[in-house]
Amino acid sequence: MAMNYIIHLLIYFDIYVIVALSLNLVVGYCGMLTLVHAGFYAIGGYAYALLTLVLGWGFLPSLLTAVMLAATLSLAVSLPAWRLKGDFFVLATLAVQALIFSLLYNWSDPNAPLGTWNNLTNGPFGISGIPKPKILGFTVTDSHSFFLLATVLAVLCAFIVWRLTSSPWGRVLVAMREDELAARNLGKNTRMLKVQALAIASGLVSVAGTLYAAYVGYLDPSSASLEESILMLSMVIVGGVGNFRGPVIGAIVLIAVPELLRFLDLPDALAANLRLAIYGLLLVLMMHFRPQGISGKYRLS
Amino acid sequence: MQIILNGLIFGLSIALLAIAFQLVYLPTRVFFMGLAGLYVLAPYAGMAIQQAFGFWPVSLLISLPLVSGLSVLFEWANHAPLRRKGVSDGAHLISSLGLYIILVQVVVMIWGNDPKTLRTGLDSAFHLGDSVLTGSQLLILCVSTILLIIFLMILRVTNLGLRLRALANNPVQFALYGYNIDVYRLLAFGLSGVFVTIASLLTAYDIGYTPYTGLSATLLAVVAVIIGGRNSFVGPIAGALMLGMIRAQVVWHFSARWQDAVTFIVLVLFLLIRPEGLFGQKTRIEANIL
Repeated sequence: MAMNYIIHLLIYFDIYVIVALSLNLVVGYCGMLTLVHAGFYAIGGYAYALLTLVLGWGFLPSLLTAVMLAATLSLAVSLPAWRLKGDFFVLATLAVQALIFSLLYNWSDPNAPLGTWNNLTNGPFGISGIPKPKILGFTVTDSHSFFLLATVLAVLCAFIVWRLTSSPWGRVLVAMREDELAARNLGKNTRMLKVQALAIASGLVSVAGTLYAAYVGYLDPSSASLEESILMLSMVIVGGVGNFRGPVIGAIVLIAVPELLRFLDLPDALAANLRLAIYGLLLVLMMHFRPQGISGKYRLS
Repeated sequence: MQIILNGLIFGLSIALLAIAFQLVYLPTRVFFMGLAGLYVLAPYAGMAIQQAFGFWPVSLLISLPLVSGLSVLFEWANHAPLRRKGVSDGAHLISSLGLYIILVQVVVMIWGNDPKTLRTGLDSAFHLGDSVLTGSQLLILCVSTILLIIFLMILRVTNLGLRLRALANNPVQFALYGYNIDVYRLLAFGLSGVFVTIASLLTAYDIGYTPYTGLSATLLAVVAVIIGGRNSFVGPIAGALMLGMIRAQVVWHFSARWQDAVTFIVLVLFLLIRPEGLFGQKTRIEANIL
């Protein structure tokens, strides 16, 4: 029993590590505050759910399609990033986030079957009965093997982020964060860099969305909500951005806080709200006392 | 005509909120998301006081200073210390987002999260030519028009308005003339609290309230500010009216559920094509006015 609980937490940890590391690529290495991350997370989940449930695809092809889809759609954020900075870039990401949410929420028709053109997302009712992942004829049913799968994917994503950020490409990214004009003077194509970074981050976070959909088996538009984006953002802000440790620490903290609250024996409804209030408090306190996060390298600007 | 009127009235209620946002944003450059929290708190506090006293002017008289006092507290306890540390705009934005989350969760913990309304019973209807207005719409129309006029008067005629505009225009110069910037920042936050309370109470009276209306309403107001021109006090009013009309047209031609999508498409179009807004002067968008 206790083992299952720990496995459950570890699977969530795997999912959130992918989220935090990919968000760190945008927030920490590009220095662009984005609120659209939950949107791409949900797009990954929905793509996986529809492809497996309606078309009967296996895990790997649907995962790859979800990644491609999210990476392509990230153009909606990276093109405005060519011209907008600071608060106004945040607003543009918020706009895209609202668009994604309202598409997922509204693209439905109670009379049409799920997955057809008229009822792509089933709207506010969400998609239930998402099949467990099927890889090469082997179906992952119990949580232990799902944990293995999630860990393999998380390690893979972490490896990708690690190699990218310690490569010359990653160093140009940091140069762009510090001084975009100077980076352009040195002949670096910063526009292309932003497109690439956002596409990679969106692709990675859609892997996390896929894992979540496959693990829980149910998905509704609330996973693309602004609250979810804020949660992801507070994860990297609390942990710290601009290096590899920070986001991982942030993911641990934000998973540990609700679990610790569980031991306080609060009523369920109250506990959920208290958890969110604590996240809000963490954001405020972090900005006052440690703007670079617990283990961050870079102060948000 | 009916659609234009509906749009106009909805636009007026956004305009009040946009003014509240702009009153903080221009003089202090704080992207004040805590406004959404105040917007959520106002009707709940009003309702609780109403139940205790049973007379609505008392409830208004207590909830106005309560909410704007809280707004001043936000500045005094959060944004002023952050400013003294010289942090970036992003840190202000994030910390005030944190304040919003705390405030909303506290409201939910105290009052629950069911939709409520301030109005009891059915609304009365008035005929105006060939269109129909409900009593609460008429109330919004009158009160917001009067408030907007008062706001413009404060801004143009009184010394306070002049100083707030000066602070918005050039805080360093303003301080050099011997004015205490901190006091005027507190004043700006307090005034903003007054506007947000009234905007929130009016909307709550008309269509009800939940703890989650605050963020979407504030985002609409921010969109109105961008459309209208973020360096102007008057632009947001025009932006809000335009946004109200557009949303009413969307309801008429498509469906109410696409309102938000269309709103944010309008925002993106403005950001890309005319980032300075309707009333803005043409400057580089990243240029900061010192």
